[in-house]
Amino acid sequence: MQISSLFKRNSVYVATILVGAFSFQAFFDVGVNRWYEYHNRGKLWKDVKGKFLEGGDEDEDDDE
Amino acid sequence: MSSVAFRTLRSGLSFKSPARALSSASTALSNYQHPDFSGYLNKRPEEKNRNFTYFMVGSMGLLGAAGAKSTVEAFLSSMSASADVLAMAKVEVKLGAIPEGKNIIVKWQGKPVFIRHRTPDEIEEANQVDITSLRDPQNDSDRVVKPEWLVMLGICTHLGCVPIGEAGDFGGWFCPCHGSHYDISGRIRKGPAPLNLEVPQYDFTDDETLLVG
Repeated sequence: MQISSLFKRNSVYVATILVGAFSFQAFFDVGVNRWYEYHNRGKLWKDVKGKFLEGGDEDEDDDE
Repeated sequence: MSSVAFRTLRSGLSFKSPARALSSASTALSNYQHPDFSGYLNKRPEEKNRNFTYFMVGSMGLLGAAGAKSTVEAFLSSMSASADVLAMAKVEVKLGAIPEGKNIIVKWQGKPVFIRHRTPDEIEEANQVDITSLRDPQNDSDRVVKPEWLVMLGICTHLGCVPIGEAGDFGGWFCPCHGSHYDISGRIRKGPAPLNLEVPQYDFTDDETLLVG
């Protein structure tokens, strides 16, 4: 398929842009999230959750 | 600016004049030295240039549309209920602790909710009322899910006071503010209130648990 076929009609052109915006956003969000979690790995709540929750339980047990 | 001055300015510079042939009318009157842009022109076919331009314009539009969509989504999501509101939106009540013939009041979304464990006599009494004689006609069966559990908002429909339980002329609730009497089904029987006590949405998740909200 020639890319120029998208530019022949304005309706096709605009529809392509709008559909592309939706699919682009999905991929963009996933990509940004993946980068963010990689960049902050080890510091996120899901990484430290086990440590804190177990620690909290132990503390309560010690107090009681 | 005079053409004489312009010519003297330009004449010192080395300019070709390849485009002179294009406009014969103007060149006949002026010997303006046209600059040579041919070195800057790209050699690709027009179709490719046009496609490239459209592609770049379309990509810009795509990014703009995605950004606009994100902005709108952010505004809309800021209007929806936040997590702390959702956490307070339901309240769970253990019914095993309520003996027959007793009221309890729980707080739900900042409002009191009356829960009464009704005795069989009270259920009988609520069902025997002739609803055509009521100000806000409503069957008792329309106001309860299980007849032994009466759940309703403890806010007087007159001006919003909290009625007192097990009081009034009809054995139900009595609003001390302006003297509205509610019966054992929470229906208005006497006094200024226009409507029965409101029944919130609730559900029995199991035999012992009531979920209001």
